[in-house]
Amino acid sequence: MAQETKYLTEFYHLPEFKGIEGYKKNGGYKELEKALKLQPQAIIDEVKASGLRGRGGAGFSTGMKWGFLPKNDEPRFLLCNADEGEPGTFKDRMMMERAPHQLIEGMIISAYAIHSKKSYIYVRGEYDQSINTLEAAIQEAYKAGYLGKNILGSGFDHDMDIYRGAGAYICGEETGMISSLEGLKGQPKLKPPFPAVQGYLKKPTIVNNVETLAVVKYVIRDGAAHYKKFGTEKSAGTKLFSLSGNIIKPGNYEVPLGFALKDMVYELGGGIKAGRKLKAVIPGGSSAPILNAEESEKVNLDYESLAQAGSMLGSGAIIVIDESNCMVQCLANLTHFYHHESCGQCTPCREGTGWLDKITHSILSGKGRMQDIELLLKISDNMKGRTICALSDAAALPVISFVTKFRDEFEYFVREGKSKVKGTAYKGTSHVEMHH
Amino acid sequence: MLKCTINGVALEVKPGTTIIQAMSENSQKIAHYCWHPGLSIAGVCRLCMVEIQGNPRVQIACNTTITEGMVINNTSDKVKEAVKWGLDFHLINHPLDCPICDQAGECGLQDQYMEYGQYDSEMAEKKQKKHKVVDLGPTVVLDSERCILCSRCVRFTDEVSKTHELGIFNRGDHAEIGTHAGKKLDNKYSLNTVDICPVGALTSKDFRFKQRVWYLKESQTVCNGCSTGCNVKVHYNKEGLFRVKPVYNAEVNGHWMCDEGRDTYKFVNKEARLLKGSKYSNKAWQIDLHSGAVAKETALNLKEAKPEEIGLVLTGQHTVEEYEAIVTAFVNFYKTKNIFHWINNKDSFDTFDGLLLRGDKNPNTKGLLQTLDKYGITSKWTDLEDGLKTKKIKYLVVAGPENTFVYPDLQSKLQLFSQAENFIFLSSARMPALESYAGDNKISLIPLKTYIEKDGTFINAMGLAQKFKKATTVVSEALTLTEAAALITGQNINITETPAENLFIATNKRPDQVQLEHRKKNEFVFNRGRL
Amino acid sequence: MSVMKQKQDSNSWYFLDVLTGLRITMKHLLTNLFNRKKMITLNYPEEKYEYSPRFKGNHVLTVKKDGSIRCTACMLCATNCPAECITIKASEHPDAQVEKYPISYEIDILRCVFCGFCEEACPVDAVRLGPEWQTPGLNGANFIYDINHLAYRSNLKGGVQSILDDQDRHKAGI
Repeated sequence: MAQETKYLTEFYHLPEFKGIEGYKKNGGYKELEKALKLQPQAIIDEVKASGLRGRGGAGFSTGMKWGFLPKNDEPRFLLCNADEGEPGTFKDRMMMERAPHQLIEGMIISAYAIHSKKSYIYVRGEYDQSINTLEAAIQEAYKAGYLGKNILGSGFDHDMDIYRGAGAYICGEETGMISSLEGLKGQPKLKPPFPAVQGYLKKPTIVNNVETLAVVKYVIRDGAAHYKKFGTEKSAGTKLFSLSGNIIKPGNYEVPLGFALKDMVYELGGGIKAGRKLKAVIPGGSSAPILNAEESEKVNLDYESLAQAGSMLGSGAIIVIDESNCMVQCLANLTHFYHHESCGQCTPCREGTGWLDKITHSILSGKGRMQDIELLLKISDNMKGRTICALSDAAALPVISFVTKFRDEFEYFVREGKSKVKGTAYKGTSHVEMHH
Repeated sequence: MLKCTINGVALEVKPGTTIIQAMSENSQKIAHYCWHPGLSIAGVCRLCMVEIQGNPRVQIACNTTITEGMVINNTSDKVKEAVKWGLDFHLINHPLDCPICDQAGECGLQDQYMEYGQYDSEMAEKKQKKHKVVDLGPTVVLDSERCILCSRCVRFTDEVSKTHELGIFNRGDHAEIGTHAGKKLDNKYSLNTVDICPVGALTSKDFRFKQRVWYLKESQTVCNGCSTGCNVKVHYNKEGLFRVKPVYNAEVNGHWMCDEGRDTYKFVNKEARLLKGSKYSNKAWQIDLHSGAVAKETALNLKEAKPEEIGLVLTGQHTVEEYEAIVTAFVNFYKTKNIFHWINNKDSFDTFDGLLLRGDKNPNTKGLLQTLDKYGITSKWTDLEDGLKTKKIKYLVVAGPENTFVYPDLQSKLQLFSQAENFIFLSSARMPALESYAGDNKISLIPLKTYIEKDGTFINAMGLAQKFKKATTVVSEALTLTEAAALITGQNINITETPAENLFIATNKRPDQVQLEHRKKNEFVFNRGRL
Repeated sequence: MSVMKQKQDSNSWYFLDVLTGLRITMKHLLTNLFNRKKMITLNYPEEKYEYSPRFKGNHVLTVKKDGSIRCTACMLCATNCPAECITIKASEHPDAQVEKYPISYEIDILRCVFCGFCEEACPVDAVRLGPEWQTPGLNGANFIYDINHLAYRSNLKGGVQSILDDQDRHKAGI
């Protein structure tokens, strides 16, 4: 029987863990004291050695990212990406609401490592409770002397602020977030220059996910070698997965990377609702290509295995789809989402997401043409990798995987004008119509 | 210097050069909309795709700096396919209202489609509807549907004019250009946004619907709106001049010009011009005289006068060559040094807005001052006023301004000049104020050519001498100041005049019902073989 | 043009051919005499021949449903006209949906060669060559047809409507 590995989430069941007292009782802020005595470079080396990879989606080595900072260019900024917008993901929210100090401590250690005197937590606007909890926690940390001037007598100053997003998905992209933080329209910026060189206010900036920053504390606590014991060789550590969809026990589960997806669905998740059969799994948030039942039985939850299976780990949001779902409708939901969230900067994405959305909805409304299926693939192919940020890819990859893996359903819908699974046409008002 | 290869051509470029810069400097073709050499890089149109050896993905050329040994091409099938699709994404929601779009004929979408596109559209869905005919300000009209959101105009107002009026509002395919709340696109450089707009989204209110661009010829000249001397091109046909656009010159104006300068075509057109010479003597006007005849008669008058009775007034609106000719004529032939500089706007003469606009609204003040200096002329304006009051100056020749809009003191000065017994006014502009003159003095009006109609040199405020060529002739009978100087000194000149009417019809008296006017207009037809 | 003459005997027997030619004349003479209704000759100008609707005769400017002129003043017809007989002046329309329209559209009908290029060039089916073919006028008559004549002359009965209307186009998302 597969089990959760509660490493980060060890004390999450304790309501007191939210406050500074309860947090300290369970080992909180000890690592900060330890870290402040270390050389900053030693922390960076330790994180590099731990093999920690960014938990936000791209899976880029955290230590390496920190190493990109140009020397002697200050001020530097640390930005915590808590704009958890990826459909299906809700792990950061739990981390912020249950253990805000864990994040704050991780951030102070990280900030110390990269010589940053100011950090921001960019929280998704809808996360009211997270914002309130974090706000209170930061106040507590200031009072306890963990933030502010001369932290714990080490001579290191650090200030932390919360910035509340306004609900745009694209602000979860690091340069989009920086634009938003600067008070501009939330649009990704051209790379190069990368944020580590020229980020917030054109100063070196490190943007890390909530989970990544929280892990830093544990790397310091147990050492890189201990952390590397979890997971596979290239995907070290544990990770929180958000399990949702047609599953009996949805929720956040912490498992070491390399955990079998099958076990996640059937054992931790308790299997599919109402005894139905598994049809497909989106393993890494809505932007990840979908896996059909057969593929998802075989794949493991780590960066390499999923890449090999043609998908990605992403933010670790596992969306389980059972046989009662019409894939055309599922895809239409996704294309609508990306159409709505495209920032409109790059042409292929601005026009492409709208076009995909219109085509999927015209298929749904029974007006699809057979060539539309091929057209969906062509459009997606030409959106992929052609834009400033990855939103275009995020919109294109699901379309390609849905259409190639469930082509029969799309063809049936076009031919018969109704869903193969549900036997009905799409009834609701198409939002495409609503826009006119 | 870095070595690289673009489309098989080995090049050496400076470090930091982007691929698109290198390509445009070496006249290699590359599709692009958002990149503009005078603005920051936006990288949003995603059209300038290139393939770099060793990189599986196509890259944008505008944000990729060249590194040593880079091998770049934009002619492979992969790039062509990418550009074709890039264009298709631009066009799927484009309204294709080329027939009523002013940009048709010089439109980036049309050009690039013919160059890189040419496919059958697969778009079968409804197009996105946006706002049309949006009044952005006093000079510019926006059509959001035509807009491809390249953000050039937004970057222009942010980076060049620094007025920050424009922004992109909404997200995704609802995104539209617009002005920020309560603001209008109202700055002195606003029409540059129309120039840099690669499509017909921003159109100039002044030029809107006046002409189709394929009816227009263009010719390069120097703006005579102020002493900056921006390099410009004028667009004209037989009906007259229609617009002025900037031409790149790094030393003077960069890529831009001001809105004021764009009006400098207006006083060149026939409606505003003095077409024929005329004479006022014995309290009666003789009109429709040949300009040369009037000038010759002036010569006869001046020859009778004593040197100290003759005065000459010059403005900074003529060319160096003309100053030379007329000043020589007066200094050497008529032996007078009564030459005066008419300064139009004394208070704001030396102001500069930091970008292009200068308070000195004459293109060639420096040139005039140099010529006056050369001949050692030191006369002051007060000398002229005194001379006229005491009737010492009896013969006054004035070379009036072309651009009378920037001469607010014109009326008062005309009153001053007409105190001279013989007032000879050389002017390109019509002078309604003088036409109603009913005093006792004699007045001669001689039409002059404008800067569009002659070759010459302007020396701008920075002291840079800029030569320019004649673009077209609007008033064939008008004289240049050089010609006028020759005639005024009694020499003969040859004026080649294009006949106003068809001579064949003039001898064959049958009245023609068919108006000749519109036969002349359709120049495109003559060019059809070549287009 | 040179014609090769064949020196054959049969060529000199032209008498038979004369009779063949006369046979057609006789046929028409008799038909016209006994069957006046089928007579081909018309008594112009009392009787006028109706040409097919596809005949390239005098121009018609089509109108929209509301009777306003369809032309958008794109000047493609003027550009395409080999006789240069079309003069258009464009202006801003108060209705933003229309945007551009001609305040003057003139065809110099005496210069026109009725080639139909204007009709072909028109992107909005605004100018057509109609079946009317007469352009008579007294000395001094105006042969430069303006919008009033081209779109609203009395025999057009309030204007010819184009099949495709702007509103339909907008609805179809074009």
